[in-house]
Amino acid sequence: MPTEPLMNPVPTRARLREALRAMGASLSAGRLASNPIAPIQRPHAPAAMVEHDRIRAIPVRPLPPPPVVGFLDGIQRYSHEGNLGLVPVLRAHVAAMVQLREDGRLRVRAKVEKDFLVAPVARLTPAQRDRLMGLGLPVHESRAEEMVHPLVDRQRAVEEIERAREAIEHAAALQFVSDCPDFLLVVDGAIGEYPASWRAVGVAKSHETQFLSGPDLEVALTLPYGTRTSVFARTGSAGRKVHTWYLRLWPWEGEDLLYGLVRVERNADDESMAAATELSGWLLSERTPLSSPDGRWDRLLYPIHAVEESLRAQAGSWA
Amino acid sequence: MWLGLPFRIPHSALRIGTMTQPTAIPIGRVVATEALPSSAHQFHFWTATDTAIGIGAIVRVDGPDGRVVHAVVVDARAYSDLMTPLHDVLAAEGDPAGAAAPTRRTEIRLWTANVLRQTPEEPVQPVPLSEVRLATADDVEVALRMDGYLRGERPSGIPVGLYSAGGVTSPIFVDADFLLGPESAHLNITGISGLATKTSAVEFLLSAIFQHFPAHKGRVAAVCFNVKGPDLCFLDQPAQLTEAEQDMYRQLEIDPQPFEKVSYYAPYRPDGVNLNTLRSCPELVGSVEPLTWGLREVLDYHEVLLNRDDVDAKADAFIDFLADRVVEKEFDDDWGGKHRVRSFSDLERLFRAIFDGLEGQGRSDMWRTHHIATIRKVRNRLLNISVRCKGLVTDDGGVSDLPFGAFEDRRVYVLDVAGMDQLGQDLVFTRVVSQLREHLERRDLGVEHVVVFVDELNKYAPQDGPETYVRKMLLDISERGRYLGLVLFGAQQFRSQVHRRVVGNAGTVVFGRMDLDELATPGYQVLSPATKLRLATLPKGELMVRHPHFTQPVFLRFPRPAVLNGRGGVERFPPSPDVSFADAVARQLAQLDRGIAPARVKDLIDGRREDDVRRALLATRRARPRPRDILGFFQSKLPAAVPRQNAERPGAGTHAVVRPLEDPYAD
Repeated sequence: MPTEPLMNPVPTRARLREALRAMGASLSAGRLASNPIAPIQRPHAPAAMVEHDRIRAIPVRPLPPPPVVGFLDGIQRYSHEGNLGLVPVLRAHVAAMVQLREDGRLRVRAKVEKDFLVAPVARLTPAQRDRLMGLGLPVHESRAEEMVHPLVDRQRAVEEIERAREAIEHAAALQFVSDCPDFLLVVDGAIGEYPASWRAVGVAKSHETQFLSGPDLEVALTLPYGTRTSVFARTGSAGRKVHTWYLRLWPWEGEDLLYGLVRVERNADDESMAAATELSGWLLSERTPLSSPDGRWDRLLYPIHAVEESLRAQAGSWA
Repeated sequence: MWLGLPFRIPHSALRIGTMTQPTAIPIGRVVATEALPSSAHQFHFWTATDTAIGIGAIVRVDGPDGRVVHAVVVDARAYSDLMTPLHDVLAAEGDPAGAAAPTRRTEIRLWTANVLRQTPEEPVQPVPLSEVRLATADDVEVALRMDGYLRGERPSGIPVGLYSAGGVTSPIFVDADFLLGPESAHLNITGISGLATKTSAVEFLLSAIFQHFPAHKGRVAAVCFNVKGPDLCFLDQPAQLTEAEQDMYRQLEIDPQPFEKVSYYAPYRPDGVNLNTLRSCPELVGSVEPLTWGLREVLDYHEVLLNRDDVDAKADAFIDFLADRVVEKEFDDDWGGKHRVRSFSDLERLFRAIFDGLEGQGRSDMWRTHHIATIRKVRNRLLNISVRCKGLVTDDGGVSDLPFGAFEDRRVYVLDVAGMDQLGQDLVFTRVVSQLREHLERRDLGVEHVVVFVDELNKYAPQDGPETYVRKMLLDISERGRYLGLVLFGAQQFRSQVHRRVVGNAGTVVFGRMDLDELATPGYQVLSPATKLRLATLPKGELMVRHPHFTQPVFLRFPRPAVLNGRGGVERFPPSPDVSFADAVARQLAQLDRGIAPARVKDLIDGRREDDVRRALLATRRARPRPRDILGFFQSKLPAAVPRQNAERPGAGTHAVVRPLEDPYAD
């Protein structure tokens, strides 16, 4: 009598991880998750090698940071306040701040904030529009899709809020650069939208867009702790070229690939290679103090965290 | 200037109205959370990390509704946004000596303040979430409710020190009605010996009282018991004060001068002519009056000297019999002898007559219903007193005492009993205080208020231990003294070891540098940990004061007293070694009349009995008005000279009659 082949028993988690290790995998933390990952709008973008032909890992040593540095961050908050028919009306608060660090102490040097309403104004009746305008808050128009969809409409409104936040950050940066043109400004994120005349350094901690591929990407994403990659160039949305490189702030073994990994940006010029090592060195020394309890502490610089906390605290009841 | 004024009205008394204006710059903000809410008696606020305030600072909160809250800072905390210490370890990679963090963590200074006063007083509400400002001098006055007794036609403030915080310095006054009675009274000061500056504080405070006690409240004097060292022996000698100390005196409106009127009293040494005091430098010893008492003075206070274990009801009855029927009365023994007992020597003669009579009679052990064993026991106890307290208690009835009935306004009477044993100190304290109380009750002491300063209260009124006459007396003063004007200023190292009714009745309580073990006792539970820590680290010259008008204790500084301290006094006026009997007599007479040659005195007393000389010397010293011819007066008080061999014959004189007892407690 024919018999069915025996099914392999389900391996335990420990056996699975051991098997993966035997296969040459680098094991992650293995944290349980259940939330879906939001769709990534721009997963890839082009880059050009600058420092070397291929990406390499370059050791860096911690260096003391410049005595005076500015740190920029911004926040956004919104609430869905209601609907006029099917048209959503959101109230938003965006704020950006630059704190100047001198003798280890952070002090507010520039701050810009704005409260406004967001709605797909095109869908409102003239009477509704007039009444909304008369409420005392500026009204930003979000994109109105052809077909009404409450979630998409809200998504478009949030996109408008993000744009407003970026504009506010830009305004705060401008204020700081005007007041303190000689000091470096460390920005939470990319600097592609900023004029090349500003002494801005971007520290990107989200890696939605990848500029490298193949072995270069593998070298970048498996960088050992305390190393940076070769400098490469990317082009911002306004067509401005910036020089960028990855830097591993914390050992990632036992965690995921992006753990402790930041991407640093600076203006594209001939000094980038030397600056990359120096900048990486003092960014390494910025690991302390730790920006806990923020969950992104492995990539979030403490001064940026402090600026963000200040903005959140000052936003008051928006919390 | 200040001199000549019986009392002073502080400048602050001239202010009108109680509402003060806030200072311009807030130093903090009140915060309240569900876990850390504001209440009507306590609130929390944060400040910049480099704030000038500290524990003990007085602050002010102005509510949006016009409510003003004054409070004193009692606790402080600081923390950063560090979630767990482990994160700091991680950031430093486990190396404490690693590179310093380029950014300082966000840090908070969170203060806790206890409410001193809310204006208006009603309704009582939680402290509003408003800005916090440092209290101005006017605020301090309102916060401590000093406006109630510094203003008006009859201010009654006594300056006790300077409050200082955040650049604000303000004099602190206590209410004379609550320091010296009748509303409340007594002051208790506690702290570690040598660091708490208890004696200095009392000296300063007495000076403040003498200069600021309002004339309309009557006359005031002080009686100080110097129980150890030379602490209080130089109150009439000036100290060298620094400019800063003089400035403190200016702010407190006190003239930095030593006490103008001081009287010193000290018993003799056993030789009966050298005074038992460290104020024995030839320049000063002339201002020390001898303190000597006779049988009557001692018998009235036999309870101090004879404890309950010694004296049973039978002995007590016999002592009462002696006091009522024998002492200073014509008395016939049952064997034909007549006695008039005025001194211990007379008493010994009576006892001898009784024993001889009973022995001769041979048929009874009873005399006047008292058993011979009881009589022997009482005789041993009483005559032993003249041995143990020799120098204070005279065999021959000579008395030199405080001027009860003629006390002077704003005079300090110092009784230097530091050289006496405990029994003698107890006797002096009990009798002096009893006399003060009796005279105050009769309103014939000479002053209406007397401050009695006693150090080492834990020895005289201990919380535990047997019930002693001294402790009962201290309890009596504490509980009833304020109605009489008898005010106790007590000091001790450990407040917890003093009877709680003594310390509990003190209206004003002062704390100097404290011992942490003492602070851990239940009596200090109401103090915050930070306040306790400040108490444990208080520098010299700083105190914490509790007063009935102050809702919370307040920290303050006081200037060094303007009088020479004990150590400085002994260095400047070194005590003289005891001199021979003849030299001592000559020296004392020379102090009364500088023209008297010592050789003449020595010739005069040569060959005379020492007791006769002592009596004549005492009579000369105490003669009022003072004789113009001191030596002549002295000579007139000496009995006719007798040959030396007779004077020294055993049993011939008083000195030989009162024999030291080998076992003074034997039955």
